[in-house]
Amino acid sequence: MIEPYVWWVILAITAATLVTRSGPHLLRAKLRIPPSFDAALRFAPACALAAIIAPDLVFTGDTLNLTWENPRWVAGLVAAVIFATSRSMIATIIGGIATFWVLKGWLVG
Amino acid sequence: MSPRAAFRQGVRELMPAAPGVFAWGFVTGVAMVKSGLSVPEAIALGLIAYAGSAQLAALPLMATFAPIWLIFVTAVIVNLRFVVYGVMMRSHLAALSMSKRIGLGFLVGDIMFARFSALLEREPHYPQPVAYYFGGACSNWMWWQVSSIIGIVGATGIPLSWGLELAGTLTLVALLVPLCRQWPVLAGATVAAVTSVIAYDLPLRLGLPLGILLGVITAFLVERQRGAA
Repeated sequence: MIEPYVWWVILAITAATLVTRSGPHLLRAKLRIPPSFDAALRFAPACALAAIIAPDLVFTGDTLNLTWENPRWVAGLVAAVIFATSRSMIATIIGGIATFWVLKGWLVG
Repeated sequence: MSPRAAFRQGVRELMPAAPGVFAWGFVTGVAMVKSGLSVPEAIALGLIAYAGSAQLAALPLMATFAPIWLIFVTAVIVNLRFVVYGVMMRSHLAALSMSKRIGLGFLVGDIMFARFSALLEREPHYPQPVAYYFGGACSNWMWWQVSSIIGIVGATGIPLSWGLELAGTLTLVALLVPLCRQWPVLAGATVAAVTSVIAYDLPLRLGLPLGILLGVITAFLVERQRGAA
C-alpha cells in the first residue's frame, strides 16, 4: 500500500533525478558552465546537506538537545571525524552507529 | 573490441567498488523503512527514483510532511553534481538517439562515473565508451537495488531503538565532509546548518531553503573576501 503523499514524493524525486542526470544530454547547443553557476554547483549541495543533517541530529522530538542525553549529534560529529581521516563510508557508518549505542547504553544502563 | 567485451569490462571494473555501492544501498533501504515508509513504498521509491542521496535527503522532510515542491527543489540541489557529470559525458553519448541518451544519463551514479572517468583518463581513445559505461551503470544499478531491497526487508525486523535510521544521516555526513575542504564551503555549510536549526519551527520546513540560501550567500561572500585579500 503506497500512500498518495509518498507517490507525489516518488514523482518529485524522479523528476529531480531526470532533470539533473538526463537533462545535460538533451541540450543541443555546446554547453559551457557559466562561472556563477559553477560557484552555485560547488556551494549549494554542501549547504543543502548541512541544512538537512543539522536538525536531524540536534533535535530530539521537537526540542533542541545538545547535551550528552542526545547521542545523535555526538554520533554525527564522530562520523564526520572518521570520514575526514579514513575516507571510508563503511567505517563512518559503523563508527557513528557504535558511538550512538555506547552513549545510549551508558545512559540507560 | 566488441561492444560486448567493453560491457563486460565495465561490469568487471566496478567490482572492486561493489562493497561501497552495496553498503550505501543497504543503508538507504534501512533508513527508508526506519523513517516510516512501508516496504512497498520504500521499494517503489528506490526502483523508480534510483537516487540514493536525494532519497536520504528527502526522508527527514517526508517525516514532517514537507511540501512536494520543497522535496523536488532539495532533490535537485542534492543532485546538482550529476549535472557536472552529464556535461563531462555529453560528447560520448551525443551520437545516440534521444531515448538512449535519457536512459543512459539517468543511470549515472557516483561510483560508476568515477570508474568511467578513470578509464577515459587512462585511454582517451577507448573504442567502446558507451558499452563500457552501460556495463558499469548496469552493475552499479544491480548492486544498489539488491542491497537496498535487502536493507528494506531486513529493517522490518530491527527494533527502532537500535537507531539504524541514523545510518542514513551518517551517510549524508560522509558526503558533506569532503565538500567542506575549502573555507567558503565550510563557512556556508555552517551558516546553513545553524539557520535551519534556528528556523526549524517555520511552517512548511521553510527553514531548509532559508538555510541553503543564507549558506550559499555566505560562501559567495567569504570567497570574494578571500579573493580580494
